[in-house]
Amino acid sequence: MMQLWDVEVKSRKIEIVLILAVFLASLPLILNYGLLILSSFSTEMVTNLDPTSFRPTIDNWILLFEGRLSVTGGVREDVVRYTINTAIVALGVAGVVVLVSVMAGYAMSRMNFKGRSLIMQMILLLHAFPGVALIIAVYLIFRATLPSDIELARIYSFAYVIVARAALEIPMSIWLIKGFFDRVPWEVEWAAIIDGASRLRVWREVMLPMVKPGIAAIAIFAFLAGWEDLIYVRTFLFDRTLATYIESNINVEFAYMPLLAAAGTLYLLPTILFFILTQRLLLETSTGGIKG
Amino acid sequence: MKKNIFSTNKVQLLIFLLPAFLIVLLFYIIPIIITVYVSFTPMRNWNIDKYFNVIVGLQNYNRLFSLITRDPVARQVVMNTVVFVAITLAINVLGGLGLALANFFIDERVSTGFRTLWLLPRMTPIAVYGLLWYYFFHGSSIGMLNSIAMSLGLIKKPIAWGQEVIPWGPWSIIIIVNGFVGVSFGMVIFYSALKSIPRELIIAARVDGASNWKLTTNILIPLLRWHLLFVTTWQLLSLLTTYAHTFLLVEWGVVSRTYGQTWALYVFNTAFGRGEQDQGLAAAAAVILVIFGAILGWITVRALGFNKMITKPKGDI
Repeated sequence: MMQLWDVEVKSRKIEIVLILAVFLASLPLILNYGLLILSSFSTEMVTNLDPTSFRPTIDNWILLFEGRLSVTGGVREDVVRYTINTAIVALGVAGVVVLVSVMAGYAMSRMNFKGRSLIMQMILLLHAFPGVALIIAVYLIFRATLPSDIELARIYSFAYVIVARAALEIPMSIWLIKGFFDRVPWEVEWAAIIDGASRLRVWREVMLPMVKPGIAAIAIFAFLAGWEDLIYVRTFLFDRTLATYIESNINVEFAYMPLLAAAGTLYLLPTILFFILTQRLLLETSTGGIKG
Repeated sequence: MKKNIFSTNKVQLLIFLLPAFLIVLLFYIIPIIITVYVSFTPMRNWNIDKYFNVIVGLQNYNRLFSLITRDPVARQVVMNTVVFVAITLAINVLGGLGLALANFFIDERVSTGFRTLWLLPRMTPIAVYGLLWYYFFHGSSIGMLNSIAMSLGLIKKPIAWGQEVIPWGPWSIIIIVNGFVGVSFGMVIFYSALKSIPRELIIAARVDGASNWKLTTNILIPLLRWHLLFVTTWQLLSLLTTYAHTFLLVEWGVVSRTYGQTWALYVFNTAFGRGEQDQGLAAAAAVILVIFGAILGWITVRALGFNKMITKPKGDI
C-alpha cells in the first residue's frame, strides 16, 4: 500500500537552505553557550573568538571549589554551600508545586462543583498577573512576619522563598496536570469508587500512578524554576545561592573572569542534564514560563 | 436512602482545594490588596512601623505623574517600555512563526535539535543567561561583538555598546536578550499547531503543486489565526511585566540605567534598588502597570472571546 508521505515530494534544496538559515540564527546561542563552557577550562576568556586565548587548564574549577575568587585574593566563598542552597530551594519549590497542583488539578478535572470553569479561568489570569506588583507586598509580609531569632529567621527565609516562588508556578502547573488527569479513562476511577474507596484513596492509589508523566513534567519545570531563580532568592533568602554569588561578583575588581565562567557552567549543568534527559517532555509542555 | 456514590463530597472537595486556595490567598489576593493599600501610604525603606498606618491619598500617584512629565529619567522609562515591548513583541511573534515554519519543513531529527536549542534560554538560570550576554556585549576586547566588529575592521577600538551608543545600543541589547528567550514560546505553540493540521490538507496542496511559500501563506498561516492572536496577547502581557533579565543587564552596567530601564524594572528598582527605596511610589507604579495590563488584556479578550482563546490553544499543546 502506498504510504501518505510518498505523495509529498519535498525539495531537498529548500530544506538545506532552511537548515542553514535556522543554523545561522542559532549561531549567537551556540557561540555564547559553547564559549562560556570553553572559557571555564581556559586561563583567559575565549569569548573574543581568538583561538590563541585558549590555554587549557582546570585551575578555574579547583579555585571555584576552594572558594577563591582569584589566584591571589584572600576572600573565601563557600561555593559548595551555595550549590546546596540552590538545590534546597529548587527541590523545595518542586515539592510544594507538585503537592498543591496534583491535589487541585485532580479536583478541577474529576470533581463537579459550581464555578469550576470560572476558577480555571481565574487561575490562568493569575498566571498572567504581573509578578512585580506582587513582590512588594509579598516582601512586606515577609518583613512583618520575620522571627527575631537570627537562626530561626534563616530557616524561615528558606521556607518563605520556597513557598513564594512555588506560588508563581502553581497556576500553570494546575492547568498542565489537569490535562493529564483529563486523559485518564473514567472507568478506572468508577471501578475503584464502586469497590468502596474514598476519593482521597482513589486519588492516591489509582489516579496518581496513572499521571506519573504529568507529575514528572510539573516537577521538572518547578525544579528548574526554583533552580534558575534570581529575583526571589536575592530578595528573600539570607543565604547565598549560585545566582546571587554570580550576581555579586561581576564587576568586582579582583574577580577572575574565567572563574566566573566556571561558576556559570556549574550552575548550568543540571539544566543541561534535565534537557538531554527530558527533551521530548520539554518540547511538548514547556510553554508555562512567565518570562518574556 | 443511599447517596449517589459518584456525587462530590463537599468535605473531600475542600481538602483537595485547600492547599491551592491558601497559596492563592496568601501570595496573590492579600498581596494585591496590600500593594494597592501601600500605594496610598508614604512607605519608604521598608519602615513598616512608621508608615503603614499613614494614609496620604493620591500623593504617590501625583508624584509619579509629575516625575513622568518633568523628570527626564522617568520619562525615558515610558519611552523605553514602548520601544522594548513593541519591537520585542514583533520579534517574538514573527520570529516564533518563522522558526516554527522552518522547523516544520525540515527533517524532524534536525528540527528536534534546533527546537531544543531554542528552548535553552528559557530554562537557563537567569544569572548564567545574563553572564552569556555580559561577555557577548562586554565593553572591552574580550567582548564577542567587539572582537567580531574589530576583526572585520568596522571599529578601531572596543565600544561599550549599552553605554555609549545611545539610545539604540541599550535598546537593542535588552530587545535581543529578551527576544532570544521569548521567541521559543511562539515557536512551541505554532509548531505543535502545525503538526496537528491534518496531513491530508497538506498533501492535497502538494499534489496540486503548491510551493512551500504558497502552502504557508494560503493554508498554514490562515489555520494558525487563533494561535497568532493567543501568542500575541500572551507575549504582550509577558513583555510588559518582565524584568529579571533586564535587571541584571542594568545592574552589571551592560546597558545604561536611563535607557535600559522599563516600567516593570522601574517598579522593582524603586522598591528594592540601591539608595533610598520608595515603596509607596513603587506600589503606585505597580498599580498603574496592573491597570494598563488589565485594559490591554480585556480589549484582546473581548476581541477574541475568552473561552475560545483559552481552550483552543490548550488542546494543541
